[in-house]
Amino acid sequence: MRIGPLEVERRNVPPWSWTLAVSILAILVALGLAGVIFWSYGVSPLHAYGVIIRGTLNPRALPEIVRNMIPLLLAGVGLVLAFRALFWNIGAEGQILLGATAATWVALYSPVPDPLKLPAMFAAGFLGGAAWGLIPAVLKLRFSVNEVISTLMMNYIALYLVSGLVHGPWKGNEMRGFAFTDAFPRAAQIPLIPGTRIHWITLLLGVALAIGTAFLLKRTRAGFEIRVQGENPEAARYAGIDPVRTLLVVMFIAGGTAGLAGVGEAAGIHRRLLDPNQISLGFGYAAIIVAWLARGSPLAVLVTSLFLGIIFASGDVMRVALQMPARVTDVFNGLILFCLIGSERLLYWRVRWLPERTVRGPAPEAGTGREATGASGSDS
Amino acid sequence: MRWLKALIVVVLIFTFATAGLAQAKLKVGFIYVGPIGDYGWTNAHDQARKIVEKNLPIETLYVESVPEAQAEPFIEKLIQQGVKVVFTTSFGFMDGTLAVAKRYPNIIFGHASGFKRNPNMLTYMADFYQVYYLNGLLAGALTKSGKIAYVGAFPIPEVKRHLGAFALGVRAVNPKATVNVRWLFSWFDPAKAKEATEALIAEGADVFAFTEDSPTVVQVAGKKGLPAFGHYSPMQRFAPQTVVSGQLVHWETIYNDVLSKILSGKYTANNLQNVDYWWLLAEKAVEVGGQFGTPINPIYTTKLQAAQVRTKEFGQISVYDLFNRRLGQMTRKPVAFDPFAGPIRDRKGRLVVPAGKTMSVLELNTMEWAAPGVVGPWPKEP
Amino acid sequence: MEEWIINTIIRGLALGTPLVWAALGEVYAERSGVVNLGVEGMMILGAFAAFALAQSTGHPYLGLLIAAGAGGLAALLHAFLVISLRANQYVSGLALTMFGLGLSALLGRRWEGLPLLTTLPEISLLTYGGVALAVLLWFVLYHTRWGIIIRSAGEAPAAVDTMGVNVFLVRYLAVVFGGALAGVGGGLLSVAYRPSWTEGMTVGLGWIAIAIAIFASWDPLRAWAGAFFFGALFHLSFRLQTWVAPEPLQMMPFAFTILVLALATRRRGMGVQGAPEALGLPYIRGEH
Repeated sequence: MRIGPLEVERRNVPPWSWTLAVSILAILVALGLAGVIFWSYGVSPLHAYGVIIRGTLNPRALPEIVRNMIPLLLAGVGLVLAFRALFWNIGAEGQILLGATAATWVALYSPVPDPLKLPAMFAAGFLGGAAWGLIPAVLKLRFSVNEVISTLMMNYIALYLVSGLVHGPWKGNEMRGFAFTDAFPRAAQIPLIPGTRIHWITLLLGVALAIGTAFLLKRTRAGFEIRVQGENPEAARYAGIDPVRTLLVVMFIAGGTAGLAGVGEAAGIHRRLLDPNQISLGFGYAAIIVAWLARGSPLAVLVTSLFLGIIFASGDVMRVALQMPARVTDVFNGLILFCLIGSERLLYWRVRWLPERTVRGPAPEAGTGREATGASGSDS
Repeated sequence: MRWLKALIVVVLIFTFATAGLAQAKLKVGFIYVGPIGDYGWTNAHDQARKIVEKNLPIETLYVESVPEAQAEPFIEKLIQQGVKVVFTTSFGFMDGTLAVAKRYPNIIFGHASGFKRNPNMLTYMADFYQVYYLNGLLAGALTKSGKIAYVGAFPIPEVKRHLGAFALGVRAVNPKATVNVRWLFSWFDPAKAKEATEALIAEGADVFAFTEDSPTVVQVAGKKGLPAFGHYSPMQRFAPQTVVSGQLVHWETIYNDVLSKILSGKYTANNLQNVDYWWLLAEKAVEVGGQFGTPINPIYTTKLQAAQVRTKEFGQISVYDLFNRRLGQMTRKPVAFDPFAGPIRDRKGRLVVPAGKTMSVLELNTMEWAAPGVVGPWPKEP
Repeated sequence: MEEWIINTIIRGLALGTPLVWAALGEVYAERSGVVNLGVEGMMILGAFAAFALAQSTGHPYLGLLIAAGAGGLAALLHAFLVISLRANQYVSGLALTMFGLGLSALLGRRWEGLPLLTTLPEISLLTYGGVALAVLLWFVLYHTRWGIIIRSAGEAPAAVDTMGVNVFLVRYLAVVFGGALAGVGGGLLSVAYRPSWTEGMTVGLGWIAIAIAIFASWDPLRAWAGAFFFGALFHLSFRLQTWVAPEPLQMMPFAFTILVLALATRRRGMGVQGAPEALGLPYIRGEH
């Protein structure tokens, strides 16, 4: 198909360079749209871009970007796996809370000796998140309860569970009756890189899990089963793949990694359990975006979680340096997402400059429901 | 490519030209836990910020809706903006503020409602317990069913203290009345506040007080024509006929005092270890009323003048006069009356404040017991 | 006892009304094959639009009309992205939620703290309208040609396409209609249920509306019942605090939702609970 001097073809697997170029273009468009908001707040858009770029892409901002990246990475890796198996888990937030809760129990109330505290906390957090993730999986398999609703409801239940604990039996003595547990003993705190809030053990775990999950998907029998199950359930059935086992494995890992993110937040950042709305800053929901941007690749989560960390950081810069309302970050993030997902179609087109030919093809109409229909002429 | 270069040059000029402007005024930063448009806590701090910015030679910056764990990075970002004084306005910011205070010994910090200090970090609080007691006096006189409602945000000492003072006020004029409590587990949730109020109405409660950052309770009660007390901001405009009184705050009196002393050199980054503001009615940090300057809605004057009680101190007296006497006693220094003066037994009958004693600030800040007359769940009741 | 029943019914209707409008919208969108997780965003935009209009003109019904427009416009954005550009429906919905919460807060600054003088009662024309709408939408869905087309767009879009019906148009209409209803639902919160405006005042009710739509197996009548039950349970969770600890009570409406779903399918046997076959999948002409 031709548009003016451009030759446009369809392809199924976009090269990463093209993906990157299109994504950057989308972000630039979003920045352009955000300029309207800056302008309407009486801030010169160019000044705003300058402040954001200087505030975000400088070494002083890096530690906080990585700090936000850690939970996004862990929860994101798990969600990539869940989405590969077509299990729409939007319950990572609750699984994070359960991970934090399980780790707190180990830290404050278990007789585990000090040297083993941290490993035991990570294990307990993984199991806590996994258990919370397995419940919707079982509900789906056994009672065919839609997972969107069950994982969502489980988030609320987790919230009130933690709330009940920190206001009730687990409320500590250090914080004068406010809803906090006592601080974790030193052995139960994840060490930080000095001068930052990067709890590096969790970060390493995240990187290892991203690589491990990629390996699992690509090179193992279980990974093969997950892929087939997600891409073609019919074929999976013929191949004798057990959908029950596949889904249970997937949600065990997905819930578990989210749980690890919760351990990191509780033992690396807060060093205690507190009001559930303050434990995870919506990482479980943001991780859905991280996982989608990674387009099914656990390794790509390393990049997309960092990207989202940068976006978060840029929002913080807007709030402080430009003195804009907090919600401006929601508008900004929404615009970036809209542009990124809106540009996804472009990925599957290959555009070449071929001016010498003069044959003209029909150009697709933009902006109407017919567009996809028009474009689909080249599908067949 | 020339246009691209031009664009880059323009961007660079814009970014660096604005960066190096010199600052003449003292820069003061505020970290808020909620949005400035709430009707409660954060809104009150932001109003105060605007007032002190107008009255003092300072320049202010603020960041709203900061999650408690994110205090540290946000404070550091404010410091990078040239801020020399930082106020953090939520209990949960305490450890984060202290950590940054230790890292930046030349910056002055103020933390609201906490108890950890440093040579460069003071604490401050404008507390309502006296105001709640005064509201309780009115509530006790106005209830017909003998059931008074309290919609509480979280069962933490601050709310328990206010609820306790309120209940003591109620019982001072109406020894048989009960204060029925419902917990929301949210600082801001209009839907929960609404259903909790409706539940209390269904149980026969006919006077309403609350802790939540929206005028929902006042509105729901107003629609049924039932008296209510505003909380934190002037809420009388949401139900002009039925808001009797309420709790109002003047954080600006504290901010004004602290910042003036910093400007005059009295407060430095080395002498704040023991500076703790616990300011009440006498310091004019708080006010009783449904709108500023009106302690009691005039609509209720006759009704309250008709309600008579017998007190040890004043003999036979109308509740209206009792309210004004008590207000006077707590407004003038030295303060002649304290709601938590012993002997006080909690609702289980344990003696919690012995005769002749009042509660210390520490005891008030860690108060867990339920006052007599309180009915309903009380997590962590001793 | 009688007082308990009557009061609970009234409270169920009061909170159920905004929920049912939003849930019915989501039922239609999902029936046509499009998941829209942006209900929270559409509701808050509707809430803001309705409040701003009602506050400045004194006409709450006009406010609700504008709320429908605001919700519909937001849904149009979602529709364009997921139907025309075939973007991921879950992510687009999440983006819409963020965008709506953000935009309404920025635009709504000026209106915060203002009382609304002309409000609608909680149990209003819109409450009865909710019942009527549920019945009407149920009838249309199961007993008219339009209903067949909408359902088929979600079950077997390729088949509808070969019948000569424009699947894209059907989905567009269903999604925008759903957005308009969500806008009304949000508007009801700000001019009737609450009534006032603060940023973020929908406090997650949009997510509950989505849950109700799925809970109802995408059936308008069941959606009405679901919204009513949620409202009633939500109220009871405060009423019962005299006897039961508050935290387990506040969990109750959510746990109950899962429980009922599990029991319902158990009785009906294994099945997909009537989920539209093509739900969440973009329609691409020429495939299948």
